Amino acid sequence: MVDDDRTADPEEMLRVMEEQRAATTKWLYGDPLLLYTPWGVAWLLGFTAFFLHYGLDDRSYAPISQMQALTVLMCAQLVAAAIAAFGIVRMNNLVRGDSTARGAMYGYAWMAGMILMVVICLRMGPLLPPDETGLLWAGTSLLVVGVLHMAGGALWLNWPMFFIGAWVAAVDAVGVLLGAGWHALLTAVLLGGGFVVAGVWLRRRPA
Amino acid sequence: MSTDKTPPDLDPVIHAQARLRVVATLNVLAEGDEMAFGSMKELLGMTAGNLSVHLTKLEEAGYVRITKTHKGRTPVTFVALTRRGRLAFEEYTKQIRALLDNAGLDNAGGVT
Repeated sequence: MVDDDRTADPEEMLRVMEEQRAATTKWLYGDPLLLYTPWGVAWLLGFTAFFLHYGLDDRSYAPISQMQALTVLMCAQLVAAAIAAFGIVRMNNLVRGDSTARGAMYGYAWMAGMILMVVICLRMGPLLPPDETGLLWAGTSLLVVGVLHMAGGALWLNWPMFFIGAWVAAVDAVGVLLGAGWHALLTAVLLGGGFVVAGVWLRRRPA
Repeated sequence: MSTDKTPPDLDPVIHAQARLRVVATLNVLAEGDEMAFGSMKELLGMTAGNLSVHLTKLEEAGYVRITKTHKGRTPVTFVALTRRGRLAFEEYTKQIRALLDNAGLDNAGGVT
């Protein structure tokens, strides 16, 4: 590079600083499109399948069993999780230090939340009618997702992440109150669609 | 060519485009974090030799801390901004903004 030691006017230097900050942020924290959009697509597909199974007035809109809907959701979520894991491994190779420990603890919090949710649902699920069992699983898993996004926002002072978590919690609450069919519909449209939009919007927004 | 134009108060260690980019990059990291040399090289689009020269200058000024370690058998170097470096960058940013604000005022006054 010929220009290595070049000094320039303040305006130019300020621009260089800003560009470098934005480029580094994007490079370190990954593409928000890859963080949010795969989950959005997974929920859009999975919960649409659940919605078609439940219907809004106790009649299925399509011949999809609860197990088939669950399979769609789980497969799509596996893809989203693989993409997220790829991003985390990549970041661990770039940086080390306190934030590695912070990220690990946050990761374990997710694991603990999900395990606890599974334990509760396995114990309580059989006591409920099938639709309510499905609602229990969906409602508690989104509880973990919403709360941990809010906590993540606090951890990294990331306002979009915090509000996305609050949005998940709010939609989950309304859906659970309205019942399995509505919960599936609201989750598919407002959370699935919402995460797709959030990923695209956060990417287009200047870092 | 324009080195002579450097206003006397601006930190000469930071007021060079390549080193400014290095410091601006490290400043994004949270305190207590360090970045692998190889990653920096890739992100900044510099050669290893080039980046080393700039890092040495920054280390001499006490602005960066360089840690050499091993990952398995491969040697890895990590770079972090020191507290002093962070403060110097903050100060530099403030000065640049002040210079621009003043320039803006002068221009506005000159036109009318």
